[in-house]
Amino acid sequence: MLREEELKTFVDGTTRYFEVAAQQPATIGSPYLLEGEPAMHDYTGMINITGKREGVVYFTAPRAMLTVLLMKMQESDFSHESMRDLVGEVANTISGNARRDFGHDFVISVPSVFAGEKPQISQPAGARAFVIPIHWRSHSAKLVVSLT
Amino acid sequence: MLLSGVDRNRRLLTAAAGFLLAAVMGLVLIIGFRLATQIRGNVGTLQRASELETYPSVVSQQLTALRERLDTLEYTGHVHAELAESVRGFDRDFAALEREHDLDPAAMHAATALWHSYTPVLTPVLAYHGEPYSDTATNSSLSRSGRVFYAHVRRAELFAQANAAALHRQLAAVSASLQARTAAAASRLRWLLSGGVLAVLLLGLAAAYLQLARARGERAAREAQEQTRDILATVREGFFLLDADYRIGAVWSKALTHMFGRENFAGLSFEELLRDKVPPETLATATKFIKLLWGERAHENLMKSINPLGQLEVSMDNGRGGKETRYLQFDFHRVTGPKGVKHVLCAVGDITSSVLLSRELHEAQENAHSQLDMMVSMLHSDPLQIGTFLDSASAGLKHINAILKEPARSHAEFSKKLAGLARELHAMKGEASALNLMSIAQRVHHLEDMVAQLKGRSELTGNDFLPMVLKLDELLAHLRGVREMTLRLTALRDNAPSPEATLSTPALRIGSSGPEELAATLHSLARKLAQDHGKEFSLTVNGLADCPRSYLSTVKDCLIQMLRNSAVHGIETNEVRRAGSKAAGGQVRVDFRRAGAGYELLFEDDGAGLSPETLKEAAVRKNIITAEQAAQLDNRAALALIFKPGFSTRSEVSMDAGRGTGMDVVAKAVYGLGGKIGVSTNPGRFTRFKIALPAASETAVA
Repeated sequence: MLREEELKTFVDGTTRYFEVAAQQPATIGSPYLLEGEPAMHDYTGMINITGKREGVVYFTAPRAMLTVLLMKMQESDFSHESMRDLVGEVANTISGNARRDFGHDFVISVPSVFAGEKPQISQPAGARAFVIPIHWRSHSAKLVVSLT
Repeated sequence: MLLSGVDRNRRLLTAAAGFLLAAVMGLVLIIGFRLATQIRGNVGTLQRASELETYPSVVSQQLTALRERLDTLEYTGHVHAELAESVRGFDRDFAALEREHDLDPAAMHAATALWHSYTPVLTPVLAYHGEPYSDTATNSSLSRSGRVFYAHVRRAELFAQANAAALHRQLAAVSASLQARTAAAASRLRWLLSGGVLAVLLLGLAAAYLQLARARGERAAREAQEQTRDILATVREGFFLLDADYRIGAVWSKALTHMFGRENFAGLSFEELLRDKVPPETLATATKFIKLLWGERAHENLMKSINPLGQLEVSMDNGRGGKETRYLQFDFHRVTGPKGVKHVLCAVGDITSSVLLSRELHEAQENAHSQLDMMVSMLHSDPLQIGTFLDSASAGLKHINAILKEPARSHAEFSKKLAGLARELHAMKGEASALNLMSIAQRVHHLEDMVAQLKGRSELTGNDFLPMVLKLDELLAHLRGVREMTLRLTALRDNAPSPEATLSTPALRIGSSGPEELAATLHSLARKLAQDHGKEFSLTVNGLADCPRSYLSTVKDCLIQMLRNSAVHGIETNEVRRAGSKAAGGQVRVDFRRAGAGYELLFEDDGAGLSPETLKEAAVRKNIITAEQAAQLDNRAALALIFKPGFSTRSEVSMDAGRGTGMDVVAKAVYGLGGKIGVSTNPGRFTRFKIALPAASETAVA
């Protein structure tokens, strides 16, 4: 079952990304348990976890939020590819944080990125998904964590 | 410690041997120098004495030569001068000899006397200065003075011939004594040199032996040091010594490096070692404890029993840039010497795995116990009631999740969630307790604790809700387990050989979840509450059969809450009742009846009643109203305080009371059905709640 420090690591990894990349930290909304199908935004960066623990962690954000984020990062390329790279980078930061804090207990996949299409989410059996709303400026994204 | 003592003794012995060696050599040199000087002096004196031995015969011969020259009338001047020179030389050397000590005194005395006896005969000879001859044209002859001189020479010659041998003997004796003295000095010098060489050899051997022993000791010490180093590098515990200033010594075990993530510990204070790794309060306690260890009177075993560092939770770098929690066990042993405590030996063990294992074991045991308790509770309950509760609980949790899901960014928005969460959880806990499903009730209670803690915060963020959502997940998983267990039990009962035979036991009573079950639940809850709170009371339930099914759930929630309030606040202990001239064993009465077009629910206990003043004080304490507002409230308004959210007269929270979430839930539920609630009381005599409910839309009754 997911532990508090694990959940915090994933959350910190996400909010820290905004702080470092855009010099403006993100805040989190009220977390809740996912019921039914996950609500996905335009772009999703996902990592799969295997090994002693199994699960999936993904960050899904609307295009508008990513556009503003790219602007704050002084980027001029707002293409589809840039958006994909950005959510991939967030997923990669989350993965780095998890490796740092949990070491070899977690075997973490290379981030996969989805845009528009419905992602193939292999949620582990018997594990619920936690949804943590990520607020940044006037935009909202979601971090979803499901881990045995 | 032992090695250093031996080493010190060996060093002292080597130093003593070196000092003795130098002293002996110095002594030998000084004495040898003095003896050599003496021998050199003796040799000079001996030479002089030997020369003196020749003088008697020389003087005798010179006197004879002088007489013969006078006989032949030859020139005598040079012989006379030689004689005078010999006599002067004899006098000089003899006087020098007389100044020497330790000569044979008898021989010296005799020689002196003899030589002095020469003086009268030699003096006229030596004193002669004239011409001994008188010459004529034809021949020469002795002059008058020459004849006198001849007579003196002849007398001296005869005297010298008579005494020369005796004087020579005496002088030879003096020489012999000198020779003997010189030989003795030479012999002493020889012995001294031999003794000195021997002593030097012995001392040299001793020094060499000591040096060898020292080298052997040093080799042993080196080996011991190497072994100590190997032990310190290999041992899995962290070892170090603390001095009187609570600072770490120069030696420590390698494991300490892994435990504290630093290389150098020398001179580090114990406080510095733990600072940033433990909370300040723990650090302060640990520092005080360390100071106590230096007290001479402190008993080590007693100190061990109060060791605050027996299981210390520390936050460490995990080597990958992150932090991790580890558990360290500090053990202290005092190292004492003749002057009291010298050091305190600290042994630090990393007990993280065993702590986690023990925690898992404890959790597993708790789970097993709670599952067993759960199973026992379920065996004594109606599966249908449990099923109804589980449905209601799932709906409650769904509602809780919906509350959490409502978007929130500000403190006000987060704070608003807490009130809704508290109400849902409290109702759920009440139902779980009523069914004696304590593992569920405890989990909900824990969630209520979290909500209560957050209520006190001045600033709320989403991070504060992370632990709660995890607990919610855990509760859902637990409810799923309970549901599975219920299904299994139901399947077991369905397969039981003669269900009729067991129908009388409550555990296997099968029926619909209706008013009868509610009455049974209330009775069961009353028994449990009486037991839990050490109270004695009986419950009378009437008329619940008239309760419309659509009101049943609300009525149940209200009755459970009011019954808990009565058990905790209302009914007194028997001692208190007797003191108040009341019958032992309280009475709680529930009456449900039709009243006009609607219904009336009456709940009454003959307990302590409600004191308006106590209620006002509690409301002020809980910051529900100010003291000024309280002063303006009349008794009726004071009684209405119990329906305010957050109101409780209890300052401590228990499973059954103290949250301040209770009567406001009842009131809200009643208002939700379009009903009214009223309270009347007589302090010390009774409390009565009257709930009026409108006609139900669903007319079917149980």
